[in-house]
Amino acid sequence: METMSPLERVLRGLALTLVVVFFMFPIFWIFLMSFQTNETILAIPPSIVFSPTLSNYAALITGKLQTAAGTLDIAFMRNLGNSIFLSVASVAVALVLGVPAAYAFARHKFKGSEDIAFTLLSFRFAPPLLVLLPLTQYFQWLGLSNTYFGLIWVYQLICLPLILWIVRGYFEDISADVEYAYRIAGHSWFATFRKIALPLAGPGIAAAGLLAFIFAWNNFVFALVLASADKQPVTVGALAFVTSSGIQYGQIAAAIVLSVTPTLALALYAQRYLVEGLSLGAVKG
Amino acid sequence: MYEKEKDLISAFLRGEVDRRGMLKGLGAAGLTAGTAGTLFNMMSTRALAADFDWKAHSGKKLKLLLNKHPYADAMIANLQAFKDLTGIEVTYDVFPEDVYFDKVTAALSSGSAEYDAFMTGAYMTWTYGPAGWIADLNEWIKDPTKTNPNYNWDDFLAGVKNSCAWNGQPGGALGSEDAKQWCIPWAFEQNNITYNREMFDKAGVELPKNLDDMIAVAAKLQKDIGGIYGIGVRGSRSWATIHPGFLSGYANFNQKDLNVGADGKLSAAMNTDGSKAYHAKFVQMIQESGPKDWSTYTWYQVGTDLGAGASAMIFDADCLGYFMNGGDNKMAGKLGYAAFAANPEATASTPNIWIWSLAMSNFSKDKDATWYFLQWASGPEHALFGATKMDFVDPVRQSIWKDEIFREKLNGKYPGYVEMFDASAAGASIKFTPQPLFFDVTTEWAATLQKMVAKQVPVDEGLDQLAESINRQLQEAGLG
Repeated sequence: METMSPLERVLRGLALTLVVVFFMFPIFWIFLMSFQTNETILAIPPSIVFSPTLSNYAALITGKLQTAAGTLDIAFMRNLGNSIFLSVASVAVALVLGVPAAYAFARHKFKGSEDIAFTLLSFRFAPPLLVLLPLTQYFQWLGLSNTYFGLIWVYQLICLPLILWIVRGYFEDISADVEYAYRIAGHSWFATFRKIALPLAGPGIAAAGLLAFIFAWNNFVFALVLASADKQPVTVGALAFVTSSGIQYGQIAAAIVLSVTPTLALALYAQRYLVEGLSLGAVKG
Repeated sequence: MYEKEKDLISAFLRGEVDRRGMLKGLGAAGLTAGTAGTLFNMMSTRALAADFDWKAHSGKKLKLLLNKHPYADAMIANLQAFKDLTGIEVTYDVFPEDVYFDKVTAALSSGSAEYDAFMTGAYMTWTYGPAGWIADLNEWIKDPTKTNPNYNWDDFLAGVKNSCAWNGQPGGALGSEDAKQWCIPWAFEQNNITYNREMFDKAGVELPKNLDDMIAVAAKLQKDIGGIYGIGVRGSRSWATIHPGFLSGYANFNQKDLNVGADGKLSAAMNTDGSKAYHAKFVQMIQESGPKDWSTYTWYQVGTDLGAGASAMIFDADCLGYFMNGGDNKMAGKLGYAAFAANPEATASTPNIWIWSLAMSNFSKDKDATWYFLQWASGPEHALFGATKMDFVDPVRQSIWKDEIFREKLNGKYPGYVEMFDASAAGASIKFTPQPLFFDVTTEWAATLQKMVAKQVPVDEGLDQLAESINRQLQEAGLG
C-alpha cells in the first residue's frame, strides 16, 4: 500500500476540511438562525454572536406565529405529521407491492414482463403537472379527493417504480443457484423468496426504501392539488412562513431543522445499507 | 340587562348617534371593552337580520379557499358572526400565497365543486372569467331579493369596484356598462411611497415630489446615510415587478401598456417617446440607488429591507409599508407614508392597484348561499370590524375611510397614511389593459427591464424589441 508523506496528509486533511465546511456551512447557519429573531437575522452586518431564543421552535410547536400583522395560526406540526404518515405509508405500500414484483421480474421471464416493467418505470417520466388535472377529475369521480388513501395511492407514482427497479437489479445480482438448492430441498418458491431472496436482498431493499422515502418526503405538488389544507405535507406547510407581512426567517430555519431531522436520522441509521445496497445493486458481474 | 346600552348601540346602527358618542356613552355606563364588543356584535347581528331574511339558507354548508393573509385572518376572526346571522356552516382551506394561485387554478380548471368562493386578484379574473370558471356577480348584486338593503354597493370606491368588472372583450374598458362583475373588492393596495423618517431627517431631505426628485433624493440618502440603498422596488422576472411603483409612475405620465384600435385590435404602446423617457429615468434610479441584487427582488425582499433598515424608502404597496411598521421589524414605528406623483405636471398621484377580492366559483352547488357569504364578507359591518380591530387595510368602502376611529388608529401609528390615501384614492385603479395575455406581456416587460438595468440593451432599443415581440404575440393570439 502506498504511504503518504506528512505534508500530503496535512494537505489532504485541509482539503477535506474545506470541502466539509463548504457543504456544511449553510446547514450550520440555518441551525444558528433557528435560535435567532428576525431582527438579529436581518442585522447588518450579520453576526455570529447573539442571544439565543427558543421562540421559533415554540411558535412551531404551539402553532402561533407572531408577525407584523399580529398572531397567525400555523399548522406546521400537523404538516410534519402528514409528511411522516404519507411517506411511511407510501413506502410501506410500495415495498409490499414492489418487492415481490421486482423478484418476479428478476427471476421469472414471462411474456410482456419487460413491457410491464417499463410501463411502471414510465410513471417517473411524466411531469406531475401533466397528469394532475386528469387525476383531480378521476379522484373526484372516485371519491378519493382529499383522502389520505388517495394520496398514498398517487404517491405510488413516486415510490413504486423506484423500489421495483432498484430491487430488481439487486435480485438479479444474487446467484440463482442458492435459491435452486433451497427449492430442491422441497421448499416452495414463496418460502424461497421469503427465506433466501429477501434476506440476501435486505440491503438493497433498505436502500430503495430509503430513497423512496426521501422522494416521497420531498414531494410538493400532489398533496397541494389533490388535498385540502389539513392534509398538506411539510413541503407546502413550510411556505406559510412567507407571509404578506414579512418573511419569518427564524421560523423557516426552525422548520427546516425539524423537517430535516426525520430524514437525516433515517439516513444516518441506514447509511451502511444505503451505500452497500446501491453499490451492489448497480454493478453487474 | 344592559337595555340602555343596547338602545345606544341600536341608535348608532340606525345612524342617529355617531361612533364617538356611542363609545362615550358605553364608557360612561361602565362597560368593559369586552362586554361592549359582545353587545355591539349582538346588536349588529340583530340590526342586519331586521331588514333581510338572512336565515333563508340556514343549515347549508359552504367551503372557502383562502390565501394566508391578514385579510383572511380578519374574516376568520369574525366568521362566527356570519354563522350566527345566517345559520350557514362555513369551512375553509388556507394556503400560503406562494402556492395559493396554483391551488385555485387547479381547483377551477378541473371543475371541482369543492370550493364555493375564494380569494382572488382582479388580474386573475381576466383568465377565470372568460374561461367560465367564475360567476358574474351582477346577477346577485342587482337582485334586491338576494342582497340585503344595507349592502350599499355605491359605498365601494368607484375606481376599485370598476377594476373588478370587465366585459371579457380584450381591451374592453374596466367597469364599462356591459361589464361583468367577476369579483367583489375586499381590500386593496395603492402604490405610493413608504419612507424611513429617521433616515430622511438625518440626510435632511424632503419627500420626493416627482420622478427626477425621487432619483436625486434616493441617491442623496444612499450617499449620506451609508450602508443602505436609496430606494426599494421590485425586480424579479414577473408581472409583479411591473404592476406596483413602476406602472403607477408610468400611468402618471399618461403612458399605456397597450393601444386599443378602433377595430378593437391591440398593439404595444411601450415604445413611445414618453415611455422611453420614463423607462430611462426609472432604470437610472435602480442603477444608482436600487438594491444590488434588484433582479431577484419581490414583495418580500422590498418589504424586509425597509423593515430591517436596509433601504430608505420604497415605491410599492402602501400596506407593505404598513406591515413593516409593526411586529419585530427593526424600523417599526419609524416609517412614514406619502402619495407620489411621478409626473411634475400631474395634479395628483395615479396609483395602479392590487385588489384582494372575493369571487364565486361557477361550480358551486349553491350559489345563492355563497352570495350570502360574499355580501356579508364584503359588507359594511365586516369591513368596519376588519379595519378597526384587525389589519384590513386598505378598505374598499368610502364609509370606512370616513370612520373617525379608523382614521385615528392610522394617524396614531402610521403617520401620513390617511393623507396619502386621501390624496391618491380618486386616481387609484387598475392601469393595465385587460386582455388574456396579461401575464405573458408583463413578464416579458419585466425581463426587458432587467436587461436595461443590467445594461445588456439600451432603453430605446430594448423597448422597440419588446413592442415588436408583444405585437407578434398579440397577432398570433388573434388579438392584434
